[in-house]
Amino acid sequence: MKEFYIGIDSGSTMCKAVLFDGKNLVDTYIIKTGWNPKISASECLDHLLEKNTISRDNVNITATGYGRETIDFADNIFTEITCHAYGGIYLKPEIQGIIDIGGQDSKVIQIQNQRVADFLMNDKCAAGTGRFLSMACEILDIKLEDIDGFTDIIDPISISSMCTVFAESEIIGLLSMEKDRSKIMGGVLQSIAQRIRAMTGKINYDLEAPILMSGGLSKSKALIEMISKITGLKVETHDNALFAGAIGACICAYNKNN
Amino acid sequence: MAKNALPSAFENFADARKEGFLTVKNLKDEGKKVVGTFCAYTPVEIFLAAGAVSVGICSFSDETIPEAEKVLPSNLCPLIKSSYGFAITEKCPYMYFADLIVGETTCDGKKKMYELLGDIKNVHVMQLPQTQTDEASIEMWYKEVLALKEKVEKEFDVTITEDDIKAAITIKNEERMLLQEFYNLSKSCPPPITGTEQLKVLYGSQFKFDYESKNKELRDVIDKVKKDYEDGVENVSKSAKRILITGCPLAGVTEKVVTAIEDSGGVVVAFENCIGVKTADRLVDENEEPYKAIADRYLQIGCSVMTPDTNRYDLLSRLVEEFKVDGVVEMTLQACHTYAIETAQIRKLMQDRDVPFISVETDYSTADVAQLKTRLAAFIEMLV
Ligand code: SF4
Ligand code: SF4
Repeated sequence: MKEFYIGIDSGSTMCKAVLFDGKNLVDTYIIKTGWNPKISASECLDHLLEKNTISRDNVNITATGYGRETIDFADNIFTEITCHAYGGIYLKPEIQGIIDIGGQDSKVIQIQNQRVADFLMNDKCAAGTGRFLSMACEILDIKLEDIDGFTDIIDPISISSMCTVFAESEIIGLLSMEKDRSKIMGGVLQSIAQRIRAMTGKINYDLEAPILMSGGLSKSKALIEMISKITGLKVETHDNALFAGAIGACICAYNKNN
Repeated sequence: MAKNALPSAFENFADARKEGFLTVKNLKDEGKKVVGTFCAYTPVEIFLAAGAVSVGICSFSDETIPEAEKVLPSNLCPLIKSSYGFAITEKCPYMYFADLIVGETTCDGKKKMYELLGDIKNVHVMQLPQTQTDEASIEMWYKEVLALKEKVEKEFDVTITEDDIKAAITIKNEERMLLQEFYNLSKSCPPPITGTEQLKVLYGSQFKFDYESKNKELRDVIDKVKKDYEDGVENVSKSAKRILITGCPLAGVTEKVVTAIEDSGGVVVAFENCIGVKTADRLVDENEEPYKAIADRYLQIGCSVMTPDTNRYDLLSRLVEEFKVDGVVEMTLQACHTYAIETAQIRKLMQDRDVPFISVETDYSTADVAQLKTRLAAFIEMLV
């Protein structure tokens, strides 16, 4: 029986990997996915093995995320929905759901009795995804990691276009009217939160129980605050929320074997 | 799930649409009249009674959509665009051979497309009511059925006798009973056949024009499947999650939904779609006045074009029980408003019954195959 588990969450922008010993999270690693999800995934694997001096034969590898099917050296494959849910439960056992905003999709999961009960996914349009936010950051000339200090979430300027392409021209229009950039950014976060509400509204969430925000954007306090405000739900995060998918991949494999 | 080779019994149906092309051409050469239909509400008994051949001409491929979009808006249901596209490009032999096309005032998109189609083909549109229980609607639909009979008699220069229509009712009912017997086989756990196999027969049976030999072939398929099952041939794994599909018409390119389910540890046991239970579930009452019986039977088909669509809810609730379904997958086509809106009611219906439910929207492209796979695989993982 293999002693260690490695979960690789190959997302559209970042490849996240974790090492798990069946009980504890031992190590994490994140790199850009790049053009070839298989290469970045094996890079993550090599790094974790080397750094923790573990032999390849002693790990059970599970792939998830958008690039999961290409990772042919994985022992198991699970979808990112299941993995985010189990990873989320591991990080915060009391959660009733997950909100995950990824690079090219966003999803909302309902958890009941420690299992996925329902989920909704937006992968048809870029609105409400990380791509929408990157686009806005680029036009407004703000670094993604700086949005928290920069954004005015109290008095945002609403962006009415749902479509990224139109929203882009709307933002350019606002800039030409010399509107405050921090308020425009507030509007961008508001618009993302509204797309999330369109999904959370379809699920019977409890207003009191916490929901974990996972994925890359879980680092942004401003976005989490905006989502809580718009959805009326108790949205929280965790230091390792970025790795929820990869952790969940290990848990799924662990559960399968035990 | 390991893909099994189709039992030889399915071969007869697998290529029925293509093989039917030649048959229809020959029938045409013999002087037979051909009627193209678009919808489950079309009372085909009338064409049978008139000695004509009727064939479904809804299109399920994106091949002609770019042509269609020269006339139609791009933000329209792909089924409508593609069907119209096949008509204007003369690429669908059935459409090409059709002497008459019969449509109904169902959804807005189809209704308006028929007007345009009328410029190039001989189109008759039946006015379908939007409710199913009030006297006025029932009366109106009965009159529409009678008007169709007159139209067909005039167009094809025939007289439909009482015996003709009764015989048509009987043979069509026979087909429905056989189809029911066939899809009901999947009530067994595990089902004897996959959803892909089931769909081949349901879809293929539309393109067989000699009812007597078609009904015999259906009988053969049923017997063969039953025998294999009794002999212990295990075609589907016991652990496969039992899925019911509902929603917009599903065939051709949208079979990608079935594939995604069956490649992820699920098996489709029932199709509550137009190619499926919806069209075979009810029989025409053979003891009533024929045209009244036909009108009453067709009007009660559940479809989101009806308001309220109680018959769909009832049928779904029944099928979920009877087929011991683990989860329901709804497929809606992009820009199909009636189904997309009704999703909220179907989701609620399933939540109330504690049946896991997912709705996926798709179109006639294959661009979303990976996305569909993720959603449907996640849905099936959820059912464990
Ligand atoms: S879905 Fe409704 S409108 Fe469309 S073909 Fe079927 S019965 Fe007719
Ligand atoms: S799928 Fe919907 S929009 Fe398309 S023809 Fe049928 S009812 Fe109309």
